[in-house]
Amino acid sequence: MNLVIARITLRQLLSRRRTLLLLLLGGIVLVVAFVRRISGDTSGGTSDTRFTADLLSTLGIATLMPLVALIFGTGAMGAELEEGTAVYILAKPVSRLSVAFTKLSVAIVCSILLTSVPILLAGLLSGGPDGPALAVGFAVAAAVGSAVYCAIFMALSLVTGRAFVFGLAYVLVWESFLAGLFAGTRTLSVREQTLAFAAALAKPPADVFKADLPLGTAVVVAVVVAALALAITVRRMARIEIAGEVT
Amino acid sequence: MTAPVELAAVSRWYGNVVAVNEISFELRAGVTGLLGPNGAGKSTLLHLIAGFLAPSAGTVTVDGHPAFGDPEVYRRIGLVPEREAVYPFLTGREFVEANARLQGVADPVGATARAIEQVDLSDVQDRRVGTYSKGMRQRAKVAAALVHDPSILLLDEPFNGMDPRQRLHTMELLRSLGENGRTILFSSHILEEVERVAGRILVIVAGRLAASGDFRSIRRLMTDRPHTFTLRSSNDRGLASALLDEPAVSGVTLDDGVLVVRAADFGTFSRAVSGRARRAGISLYELLPTDESLESVFSYLVRG
Repeated sequence: MNLVIARITLRQLLSRRRTLLLLLLGGIVLVVAFVRRISGDTSGGTSDTRFTADLLSTLGIATLMPLVALIFGTGAMGAELEEGTAVYILAKPVSRLSVAFTKLSVAIVCSILLTSVPILLAGLLSGGPDGPALAVGFAVAAAVGSAVYCAIFMALSLVTGRAFVFGLAYVLVWESFLAGLFAGTRTLSVREQTLAFAAALAKPPADVFKADLPLGTAVVVAVVVAALALAITVRRMARIEIAGEVT
Repeated sequence: MTAPVELAAVSRWYGNVVAVNEISFELRAGVTGLLGPNGAGKSTLLHLIAGFLAPSAGTVTVDGHPAFGDPEVYRRIGLVPEREAVYPFLTGREFVEANARLQGVADPVGATARAIEQVDLSDVQDRRVGTYSKGMRQRAKVAAALVHDPSILLLDEPFNGMDPRQRLHTMELLRSLGENGRTILFSSHILEEVERVAGRILVIVAGRLAASGDFRSIRRLMTDRPHTFTLRSSNDRGLASALLDEPAVSGVTLDDGVLVVRAADFGTFSRAVSGRARRAGISLYELLPTDESLESVFSYLVRG
């Protein structure tokens, strides 16, 4: 972990306009939970818990988490390569492995802060007898999911200059559309894996929330995918080339 | 003794496009100018030396070590890239200090102050780089490259965007660093910039090394090449006939009423033409060189 690179990456990721949009998106999750709380539409029963589970799974895990990780994961290294500032980090006696590890760590921490914190707070606000357990379970699962997403998106940003577009296509087409149509495609969905972690951690009643993917499958696939993404990152970083302007 | 930078038969291609074609040279202490038209392969060459590109063929070594794939070479190299991009959210001082810390400089704060002083950026060092003019950004990049006191300095079009005063200051800085034993290579497509700073010159055209050596000899080669002129006079046919007797003239054509003269020696022809016209009783209205663009100079050097 290189602290200078970490500080620059942190400021770089947080100074973008997109980050404000992400804060806004996290705010929406909180606002929905808050409105539910003050609307008086809380009986304190299973319906509250079901609402909380729906809110955290759809707005939190399915929407907020992939978008945040997409922006931070592709932005940490990919944006620097695209803009040309990567030269100042790569032309230094710092190992490429250290650069990649630092940038990925910062992307993961930022993603967790902008995903797990709103999910935790929204879960606590939203209510229901299992609300706190759901809040903690979904927040921790979102942290793990964010890490897997960031690893994938960072690897993608080192493979293609259009990582954001491909990443968005994965989230919107594969995870939102195909995973709903074909059970097999859910196995390779980070969202489904994260929901499986959330169900295992929060242990909600089956009529409140149930994950589609078995926990064992989710763990194995998530570990394999993350390891593969890291391997690609390390390999690409070692061979990365910067051509500069053609002059 | 190993030269600080050595290139041996280095080529670099992208698919079917050859950006650098079998180039060999050594760089030693002093300032060397890398001159060539846009698209000649100057940046590719600098990036090969900076270890950002692997050669497709041949070897690039820095102090005897392969430049590509070894981050340790950056302890000896300072690099000023051509692209303007600098972290806009950092102040000039923060940017230079970050470079010092990444280089592992023992006293990053002191080294930063010295580098900023060297490029005359002290007045605006606490302003965000995003608010800098192009010239200020260039100087911040030069300060960041100098902060660890590298023995090799690579600069890609370093004077771009600088005003005349900043340009002279930076030229003087490079000259003094070269005199103090640093190995400096800077690229430019402007002959006068190279002339003012570099003692040695590498001319690159279409990916090939067209000429290299002492600046004065290359300059002479450029001046003494065959030149083509168009002339307008009171009697073009008579002037053509008179000029054929002139030893400095290697060819005369008269196409569509336009007199075109090819001179083997620029200086001799320039001095002789008016005398020849006067003796033949012809008034000379116009004498225009037709191939004075830098590209034509480069093309001649390649053919030579």
